[in-house]
Amino acid sequence: MSFTALFYSFWWLIFPIFGMLMGLIGMFQADRRATRTMDLIKSYVDQGKDPPPELLKLAANEMSSGDSSGMGRTPTENRLWTFVTFAALGAGFGAGYWFMRAQEWSFAFAIVAIVMSIMAFGALILLIFGRKS
Amino acid sequence: MSEELFRDFWWLIFPVFGMVMALVGMLQDNRRIDEIHDRARRDLGGK
Repeated sequence: MSFTALFYSFWWLIFPIFGMLMGLIGMFQADRRATRTMDLIKSYVDQGKDPPPELLKLAANEMSSGDSSGMGRTPTENRLWTFVTFAALGAGFGAGYWFMRAQEWSFAFAIVAIVMSIMAFGALILLIFGRKS
Repeated sequence: MSEELFRDFWWLIFPVFGMVMALVGMLQDNRRIDEIHDRARRDLGGK
């Protein structure tokens, strides 16, 4: 099987493999960062010094990882933005699929629209039932 | 064949660009946090 034939059959694997790698790297790095931050804070406390505010802020961010990054000012706003972003992507790719549905390759739009809609649904569940602060 | 491959998969440019941006963002974030750690360690007395 040539590279081209292989690529035609399995191009979609790029996305889950990239997602898995990013997830794995992110998980290891978050763990290493949290350990280093807590060790540094402990060293400051042991020496009777106040830890730098940026270090405390970093520790607070790591404690609420996932909630602290985003466009909003609060975790709830961040979740709302996550929902809006995935809903917009789902609607956009859904519309793309609808207009291109006669094409042989339109399934790619449908797959992305379904994935984005599932992500939007998950974000909505977290928005409604997740931690409020 | 490469021309045909490009014609069929040109749209992959956009998600691949997004992946590269995500990777660059992650690396920059890590560098920023490493700088905070290094500064805190220096202030502590070079532990």
